Amino acid sequence: MSKLTESLNKIRSLEELSEGVTVIHRLHPMAKLVTTIIYLVVVISFYKYNISGLIPFFIYPILLMSLGEIPYKSVLPRLLIALPFSFFAGLVNPFLDRELAFFLFGIPVSRGLLSFLSILIKTVLTVMAVLILIATTPMDKLACQLIRIKVPRIFVMQIMLTYRYLTLLITEAAGMMTAYHLRSGGQKGIRLEHIGTFIGQLLLRSYDRAEKVYTAMKCRGFNGEYRFAAQEKMKAGDIMYGLLLCAFFLLLRRFNISVIIGSFFG
Amino acid sequence: MHMADALITPAVGGVMMAVSAGAIGYSVKKVKEEFDEKKVPLMGVMGAFVFAGQMINFTIPATGSSGHIGGGILLAALLGPYAAFLVISAVLLIQALFFADGGLLALGCNIFNMGFFACFIAYPLIYKQIVKKSFTTKSITAGAITSVVIGLQLGAFSVVLETLISGITELPFTSFVLLMQPIHLAIGLAEGIATAAVLCFVLKSDPALLDGYDRSVSEESRMQKKRVVAILLAAAVIIGGFVSWFASSYPDGLEWSMENVAGTAELEAEGQAYHAAAGIQESTAFLPDYGFKNGDESSAMAGTSVSGIIGGGITLGLACLAGYIITYSKKKKKLNVKTNGIAE
Repeated sequence: MSKLTESLNKIRSLEELSEGVTVIHRLHPMAKLVTTIIYLVVVISFYKYNISGLIPFFIYPILLMSLGEIPYKSVLPRLLIALPFSFFAGLVNPFLDRELAFFLFGIPVSRGLLSFLSILIKTVLTVMAVLILIATTPMDKLACQLIRIKVPRIFVMQIMLTYRYLTLLITEAAGMMTAYHLRSGGQKGIRLEHIGTFIGQLLLRSYDRAEKVYTAMKCRGFNGEYRFAAQEKMKAGDIMYGLLLCAFFLLLRRFNISVIIGSFFG
Repeated sequence: MHMADALITPAVGGVMMAVSAGAIGYSVKKVKEEFDEKKVPLMGVMGAFVFAGQMINFTIPATGSSGHIGGGILLAALLGPYAAFLVISAVLLIQALFFADGGLLALGCNIFNMGFFACFIAYPLIYKQIVKKSFTTKSITAGAITSVVIGLQLGAFSVVLETLISGITELPFTSFVLLMQPIHLAIGLAEGIATAAVLCFVLKSDPALLDGYDRSVSEESRMQKKRVVAILLAAAVIIGGFVSWFASSYPDGLEWSMENVAGTAELEAEGQAYHAAAGIQESTAFLPDYGFKNGDESSAMAGTSVSGIIGGGITLGLACLAGYIITYSKKKKKLNVKTNGIAE
């Protein structure tokens, strides 16, 4: 499967997920956006050696993945994109920071190993949190919230239009790729001398499409403003959800639950 | 080159977010000034175009590697820097949300590294200066390649600074720079060549699409070939110097699967980062040097951490159990609804 169709499937599956009807889907998008951002900030604010404090933060993604009925198999491909760079940025830590942190059942654990693990855990947590947001909130509702927090309309419009045409142009490019491959005797990728013409063709087609889109929009009364559906009101439940979760995150940040639980056993 | 959330601290993410938001605000103002409502759908479609275009790989002869077009300079050359900056920012946001390519809190860093340098430094100061008003294949090629390379170098250096200020990796500054810059020089050359090829195609098929193109001027300016040749020569010397330095410090340098080390794709060649780093350290000893450092911090850590990890394991176990129970009961409920539905 080519990169193009693969990404097309990714977008489609996330879109389908976001149309679900679970408790999490029904929450106000603003409540989810705010909690996600607070969660991300709290998670990455942990000191690089503090792993035990980070582990309890798995509670949030695990519970929300279950409540929001998000399959775990959708996490994996995202991790494959996000992890490699983090992995290799962190992999040097165990080699460069070899100071002893503590003994775990008699095995010496270095600080570098701790900071390496904390990078990996943070990557998994942050990737899951963003996935949960996007898999339970449709893009247009998210865009409404961006306008609400005073992101310039023209920029939000840009995001929405790019998102809308993504699938169209990827399909277009995938078609061109298939045509090229069928005529090129099974070689991988596109030859360097053809890339200008190939991408240039795609560009001209994109311009054509933009022209048609503009005409169609004009026919329907477009005057330079992109209209969004009316804002939903936040209910008491949404506010409660946001406040409770944020308080929970801050509590976990302040008190190391792992150490407290561990002290009963150790 | 997309940075993940895990590699930065909230302070770095916040500052870069503020800087990028400022640049977006300014660009919005500029785009509004010359507002052309036709440009609205065009910008949207161009965002999607760059997105799709970057997924099309071409093979780099004799290396076995592949590359793709660069977004920033291409967009700036077509839409002008302000609109291009907005388009790139939107593309980066969508990549972060849907593909986990770059984090949400690191979005400010990514917009700055990949959008700001390309649109506001490399495009006006290099591309425009080289191309000026002489839209010829040569000037566009020279302009595109040099500006993409320099834009990417600045971006890569910025990645290094942002990561190091965050203090999450132990990589020392010099090795990190020596790792990032050469790789991105190679990536930049590939991206630059592809970008130049596309822009030259546009020049031939529909030059009016190029930013700043004026039909009347371009004819006479073909006379200015000499200047272009001089610039090309200078660029060749600069790039050649870089490449030879790069090639000598890393004998197998060009064989690195470049895209991968930048953190965008598969795993295979990423190992190079590790090899290089390990080589610098000249040590493969993995276990810590025995003995704690003096001071309270270490002993306090030793006290808390073992029980912390046991406790962490228990917490994780409990969370998984709760998750499993929810999923299980939901499934059961659905099954009941289904069977009841049939029965009725």
